[in-house]
Amino acid sequence: MAGKLILAGAAVVAIYLISVPLIFLLGTAFRGPADFLPFEPGSRWTLDNLWDVYLDPALYRSILPNTAIFAAGSVTITFVIAFTLAWLVERTDLPFRSAIFTAILFPLLVPTVVLAIAWTLLCAPNAGWVNVAIRGLFGVQGPGPINIFTMPGLIICQGIASTPFVFLLLCAALRTMNPSLEEASNTSGASPIVTFFKITLPVLRPGILAPLILATLLTLEQFDLPLIIGFPARVNVFTTRLFFDLNAEDQLPKYGSAAAVALLFLVIAILLLALYNYMVRRAERYVTMTGKGYRPTRLKLGRWRAPALVFVGAYLTFAAVLPALVLLWTSLTGGVTWSEATLSWTAYEKLTSDPRFWKAVVNTFIVAACSAGIATLVGALISWQILRTRFIGRNLLDFISFLSIGIPSVIAGFAVMLLYLSLPIGVYGTIWILVLAYSYRIAVTTRLSRAALMQIHAELEEASSISGAGWLDTIRRIVLPLMTPALLSSFLLLFMVGFREFTIPMMLQSDDNWVLSVVMWRLQNDRQTGEAAAVGTLIVLFVIPIIFLMRRYLLAQQNND
Amino acid sequence: MLKVKSLHKTYQGPDGSFHAVRGVSFEIPQGGFFTLLGPSGCGKTTTLRCIAGLEDADGGSITIGEQLVADPTNGVHMPAFRRNIGMVFQSYAIWPHMDVFSNVAYPLRVARPRPSHDEIETSVMEALKLVGMESLAKRSATKLSGGQQQRIAFARALVRQPQLLLLDEPLSNLDAKLREQMRFELQELVARTGVTTLYVTHDQAEALAMSDQVAVMSGGQIVQSGDPRAVYERPQDAQVADFLGIANFMPGRISALGDSKSLSVKLDGSIGVLRLPDLNSFAPETAVRVVFRPEDVVMRTAAADDTVEGRIERINFQGTVSECHVRAGETLVRMLIHPSVRVQRGDQIWLAVDPTRCVVFPAESVALR
Repeated sequence: MAGKLILAGAAVVAIYLISVPLIFLLGTAFRGPADFLPFEPGSRWTLDNLWDVYLDPALYRSILPNTAIFAAGSVTITFVIAFTLAWLVERTDLPFRSAIFTAILFPLLVPTVVLAIAWTLLCAPNAGWVNVAIRGLFGVQGPGPINIFTMPGLIICQGIASTPFVFLLLCAALRTMNPSLEEASNTSGASPIVTFFKITLPVLRPGILAPLILATLLTLEQFDLPLIIGFPARVNVFTTRLFFDLNAEDQLPKYGSAAAVALLFLVIAILLLALYNYMVRRAERYVTMTGKGYRPTRLKLGRWRAPALVFVGAYLTFAAVLPALVLLWTSLTGGVTWSEATLSWTAYEKLTSDPRFWKAVVNTFIVAACSAGIATLVGALISWQILRTRFIGRNLLDFISFLSIGIPSVIAGFAVMLLYLSLPIGVYGTIWILVLAYSYRIAVTTRLSRAALMQIHAELEEASSISGAGWLDTIRRIVLPLMTPALLSSFLLLFMVGFREFTIPMMLQSDDNWVLSVVMWRLQNDRQTGEAAAVGTLIVLFVIPIIFLMRRYLLAQQNND
Repeated sequence: MLKVKSLHKTYQGPDGSFHAVRGVSFEIPQGGFFTLLGPSGCGKTTTLRCIAGLEDADGGSITIGEQLVADPTNGVHMPAFRRNIGMVFQSYAIWPHMDVFSNVAYPLRVARPRPSHDEIETSVMEALKLVGMESLAKRSATKLSGGQQQRIAFARALVRQPQLLLLDEPLSNLDAKLREQMRFELQELVARTGVTTLYVTHDQAEALAMSDQVAVMSGGQIVQSGDPRAVYERPQDAQVADFLGIANFMPGRISALGDSKSLSVKLDGSIGVLRLPDLNSFAPETAVRVVFRPEDVVMRTAAADDTVEGRIERINFQGTVSECHVRAGETLVRMLIHPSVRVQRGDQIWLAVDPTRCVVFPAESVALR
C-alpha cells in the first residue's frame, strides 16, 4: 500500500514537473492581450498572438534564417571536430589518448557562459589577446583582424563548445562496433581506405546520425553564446528573441507572443526528438553479435601522428587552455592592457567582501543539489514503475519523461515562470522556483536507471518477496543498493548540469535568486571585467577536480585505454 | 601450401608484455585440413590472425602458396587485404547495412581488376548455392538466424576462390544440435571445394572429426601434432592427455622392466600390477602415472593377475551408458559400463585396463589433480 502511494506520488510529480508548465505555455499562446498573464483578470481567448508572430516578416527575415544558419553551421563544425577527435582517440595509436580524453571533458563541464566570456576576452576586436598577438606579429593596426561579434564568430564558438558532448556519444558508437566487421572486409581484399568508406561509415551511420540530431536539438536551445556573442553582433536567434520579448528595456513583457514563438520551436524540438528516437532504434538493430573481445586494431598514424597531435592541441588550446589562462590573468589584472598590467588580488577581495557573491555560491549549490536529488529520485522510481509494473499509464509516463530531453531550457524556464506567476504559492523570485524548473530533466535519470534495472534480473526482487520482504523492504534492501552506482552517476551528471545552468536562472532571475553564472554575466555586463573573470576562475578551479571524478566514472564503462 | 616458420608474437599491454605465440612452425599441404586445437589463451587465434595479416608477427615467416607474406626480420608485412585468403569469423561479421547478396559479392566488388557485373552475379549465386542459401539473396542481413549468418560467412569467404581458408571457431556460437549439423556441412563444403583450410578450435571432438592434421597448442607453442588418431591415442605428455579428455591418472612405480618393449607398473597401495608396452625407456623404481580413458577400462567380478581391486563409489546413469566412479587405493577411477550391468554402490569389483590403450608419464610431469 505504502509502495503504491510512493509510486503514484513519483508519477504525479514527474507529470507535474514536465507537463503542467507546458500546458500553461500552450494556454498563454492563445490568451490575450499579449502583455497579460494567461489567467489574469481581463485576458481572453484569442488568436492575436499567433497572427502577430507568424504574420510578422521579421520572423522569416531574421529569426528563422538566423537560427537555421546558426544551428547548421555550428553543428557542422561540432561534427567535424568531434568525429575526428573520437576517431583519433578510439581507433588510432595517437599518443596521450587517455590524457586527451580527460582534457576534452573540460569544456563539457565548465559553464558555457564562462567560456563565452573568456572567448570575448580572447577575440574581442580591440583588446582581445589573439588580435593583439596577430597585430604584434604582422605589424598591422587595430582593431581586428578577428571580430568575434559576428555570425561566423558565434558559429565557431558554439561549434567548439558543443564538441565534447558529441565526442562522448561518438566514442561510444565507435566502441560498440564489432571490429571483425572491418577485419572481414580486410580479409575480403579491401584496403583500409575502401574499408573505411564501404564498411566503417555505413555501419556507424545510425550511430552517427543519432548524435547529430541530438546535437541539432541542443544547439537550437543554446542561449549563452547567442546572448553574449550574438547580441552585440545583432544576430538574433530564437532563444534570444524569446528572452528579449520578456525582458525588453522599454516595454512590458510580451507573454503571449513569446509563447507563440515558443510553440513553433517546441514542435520542431519534438519532431527532432522523434527522429532521434527512430535513429537510436536503428542503431540498436545494427549492433551485431560481438565475438569475444579482440580489441579493434588501432590504425598506425605513422607520419600523420604530428598533424593529428597539432589538431588535438589546437582544439584543446582554444577550448580549454587559453580560456583558463585569460580568465586567471584578467582576474589578477582587472582587464587592462598588457603594458599597464600589475598583478593584484583586488578583484578577489572585492568579490569576497560582497555578500551577494556568497549568497550566489550558496544558491548555486543548493539549487544544483536539490534539483539533482529530486530528478534522480523521481526518475528512478518511475523507471522502476515503467519496467516492473503493468500499470496502464506507464507508456504515457515513459513518453513524458523522454520528452524532457527535447524541451529547450529557455522554454522550460519561460513555462515555469508563467505557471508560478499565476499560482499564488510564493515561490516566484526565490531559489525554489529554480529547483522546480531545473528538476524537469528526468530523462537523464530514467535512461541511466533503466539501463541499471535491466541488469538487475527481476528474479532478484522476486526472491526477496518470497523470502518474506514487503515492497518497501525489497526496494530498500535489494533494488536501491544494486542501483546505487547508476543513481550516483545520475546525481553527479544532473548536479553538473544544474551547476552549469545559465538559461533558466536568467529567465527567472530576481534579486534573491542569483546563481554564479548569472553573477558572472551581470559583472561582465556592468564592465567589472576583473571581478567577472575572478568568478570564472573560481568556477574553473571547482570544475577541475570534478573532471577527474567524471573521468573515473566514464572509465568504468569504458576500460578501453 | 601454407608454411609457418618459428612464428613469434608479443603484445604490449598496460601491465607489461605478453608473449602470445612462441615459435610456432607447421605446414599444410595443398588441399589439407589442419586444426590448431587448444584451450583459450593458448595462442591459436593469434597464430591464425598473424596468418590472416590482422596482426603483425614479430618474428618468423609465413608463406602462402609461393608468396612470402610475413617476414618481420626482413621487413616483409603484407597487409591482410593483399593476401589471397578467405576467413570466417567467430561472430561471422555479416555487415548489417548490406543484403545477403552484397555481403557475398563484396570480395569481388573490391577486387582489382573488378570482374564484370555478370561474372559477379554468377560467382555469388554459385557460392550461395554451395551453402544452400540461394533463395535468400535479397534478404536483409539483420534478418538472419545464427546458422544462416554462418553459411553466408562461408559463401563470402569462398566466393573469390582463395588459396587458403581460415576458420576462427566458426561453430562456437551455435547451439549443440545445429553445431553438429554444421560440422558435417562444413566438412562436405571443404571437401567439395578442395580449398586448403586452417581451423582453430577448443573443441576436441570437432578437431578430431574434421582434420587431416591436428596440432595441440599450449602456452603459445605447439606441444604435439600429427594425425588426429595418433594424437588422441598417444598423447605426448600429461597436459595434452588432460586436454584431450583423458580422465584417469593412476600413481605407481616401475617394478620390473621386461624386454626392451614392455614394463610393469606396481600401483601405489599394492592394489595391482599393470604390464604395459614401454615407449619411454624408464629406469626402475621411477614414480609414474598410468593414464587411460574411461572407455578403456573393463569391469570384472573376480580377481585375475592383471586386475586392479576397487570398490564402487557412485553410478551415474546417463541413458545409453553409465558412468561409474571406482575407488582403487587412493585414486578415483572413472569408467563406463553398459547400463544393463547390475552393480551397486559399495560392490567390490576388479578393473582390467587394456594395456595397449595406456600411456605412462613420469609422475613429476603430472600436476596434482
